[in-house]
Amino acid sequence: MSDTLVTLLALLVLVGPAIGGLVAWFVPARLAGVIGAATIVIASVAATALAVPGLVDAPVVALGGLVVVDALGGLIVVVVASVGLVAALGTPAYLDHARADGDLDARDAARLWALMAWFIGGLLAVPLLDNLGLIWVAIEATTVVSALLVGITRTPAAIEAAWKYLILGSVGVGFALLGTLLAYASSVGVLGETSDALAWTRLLAVAPSLDPALIRLAFVFALVGYGTKAGFAPFHTWLPDAHSQAPSPVSATLSGATLAVALYALARFTQVTTMTLGAGLPSGLLVTLGLLSLAVAVPFIVAQGDLKRLLAYSSIEHLGICALALGFGGPLALSGLALHLVAHGLTKASLFLSAGGLVESGRSRRIARLGGAFVGNPADGRAFVGGALLLSGLPPSAMFVSEIAIIFGGFQRGWGFAAGLAAILLAAAAAGMLFHVARVAFGDPRRPPIPRGRRARHLVAVGAPLALTALFGLWVPGPLSAALGRVAQVLGGTGG
Amino acid sequence: MTAAGIVGAVAGLIIVLGIALVLTRSIGRSILLVATQSILAGVAAIAVGSALGQWQIVVGGVLAIGFKGLAAPVFLRSMLRSTAVAVERRPYLGPRLSLLAAIAIVFVAATATADIGFTGTPGAERALPAAIAEVLTGLLLVMTRRKVMSLLVGLLVFENGIALTAFALTYGMPFVVELGIAFDLLVAVAVGWVYTRRMVAVLGTASTDSLRNLRG
Repeated sequence: MSDTLVTLLALLVLVGPAIGGLVAWFVPARLAGVIGAATIVIASVAATALAVPGLVDAPVVALGGLVVVDALGGLIVVVVASVGLVAALGTPAYLDHARADGDLDARDAARLWALMAWFIGGLLAVPLLDNLGLIWVAIEATTVVSALLVGITRTPAAIEAAWKYLILGSVGVGFALLGTLLAYASSVGVLGETSDALAWTRLLAVAPSLDPALIRLAFVFALVGYGTKAGFAPFHTWLPDAHSQAPSPVSATLSGATLAVALYALARFTQVTTMTLGAGLPSGLLVTLGLLSLAVAVPFIVAQGDLKRLLAYSSIEHLGICALALGFGGPLALSGLALHLVAHGLTKASLFLSAGGLVESGRSRRIARLGGAFVGNPADGRAFVGGALLLSGLPPSAMFVSEIAIIFGGFQRGWGFAAGLAAILLAAAAAGMLFHVARVAFGDPRRPPIPRGRRARHLVAVGAPLALTALFGLWVPGPLSAALGRVAQVLGGTGG
Repeated sequence: MTAAGIVGAVAGLIIVLGIALVLTRSIGRSILLVATQSILAGVAAIAVGSALGQWQIVVGGVLAIGFKGLAAPVFLRSMLRSTAVAVERRPYLGPRLSLLAAIAIVFVAATATADIGFTGTPGAERALPAAIAEVLTGLLLVMTRRKVMSLLVGLLVFENGIALTAFALTYGMPFVVELGIAFDLLVAVAVGWVYTRRMVAVLGTASTDSLRNLRG
């Protein structure tokens, strides 16, 4: 790519959503829909165009080094962009229903589009920026914007969820800021007070000579901070509330994309820490938090009564697996992690949209009241059941492949006990999930089916991600497979 | 008194005030305590800044005293008067456990920062443990208090600790990053204020006890 094109694409991603969202905020709802959707599509496509070369080849550098996309950043861009597109496709159907029910008025609809554009734009910026300070700024910005989205319906439950999210999210990202400060202090000692002392590329280059005591503390704070954003237990308590109370397209983005972005920020700290201190401390802490997240999530999955909370606890489970993979290290577990982030993002985005459809047609979130979905709401019912089967890691799901890779990778690297325990917990979670799926799928609907056509766009939004997840479980195309390997190399510190 | 001496004294006082914050149940008194912490941190910044001839640190200290030492507490007191709740009646942690937690925090903060080599700010080796202790105290308050006002005080303590860490470790981060952080915090405070008002309006209370609908 020419330098001009790279600069243009980077500006489209970093500046475009800010402007598009601002315009959408002030125009009438119908126009806001067009502008908001266009903003999300343009930013996602531009970010992907910027990321793909970094994913298959050497890192892409733009804007004088402010933007650097290597394979890991490229993967996260692809995850965020696909989830963002799915969420944007699902938003009109959600808005139709919410406005018909009086949950949102025309002003709220325009604001929802504006906030979505800012939210997805902020998420896309994180994996592009070569500066741990600016990464923090972007993540904090997405926290504030998404807190507004969680509470947009102004019901008491939504306000409660948004308040908790804001308080715990602020404390969480506060810790991440402390970690960033400590990393800066350690790098200033080596690099001097230059503006690129927070660039992760520079930090990685000088990692062996950084102050180990500062880096140790920086990693612990970053783990607590970004771990809170990623929903690791015991910092997860805000997550089930926020993810279940938010409008469905927002839940899809929170779960499919935001968690991956938080994990990305943590992975950068892990890389630096591993090169400074060795893998001992980060691996031990990540494996512990991963197992704890699995252990906390599984009982809540099994005993869950609320459809959207079921998906939220499943997110805690899956991010727990990701933490385990990052802690295990090694090419097998790390390429499993890369595939898992893609597959989880796609499947969870689709599931939150189909679950939203089921909740709308069944007029309840209670799983016990949503039975008979195959009859009552066939499109969303089938999509939900299909998605839940894929999410449980049953073949041909890509998550079957990635979970096996992560667990075998754990055994390979000498984490036999942790990997074995994780396998048992995963099986329990899958059993719980299947039990709820059967309750939703079969039986007679309590309410007469609501005859209404779903928009074609909604069907694409719920169907396409599931088809891809199933496809990647059977066959990973050559370039994608090579890209996953490169991500594992970046994470493992054996090349870029 | 040298700048390093002032920073050392401030660090000690901040730790004592932090223990008092954990022990008190009067929300009005805790607002005064956190205001005093902010003013002390500002004084330390002014002392160090003028000793080193770094005027941006002096300006930062003056701003900290103005916003976090005076404006925020006055605002919190006026909010406190408009709600009926003035005392944290039943925090999740009783007085004895709270004292234990406060002492544990000081110990953890001292241990965690023990082997860091300091070069920059005078008195940093005293200020950093105090800053980390302040962060953890804020976290403890947020986790163990029930009243909305107490949570806001806890957040303020937490934020003060982060600012003090930044001051102890470096003269500040690169300008773009500082700008971004300031902007984010401003928006976060605005959104927090909107939600606090909305929550009090919808739930008709200033206690998070009523936030018990979402669980499981």
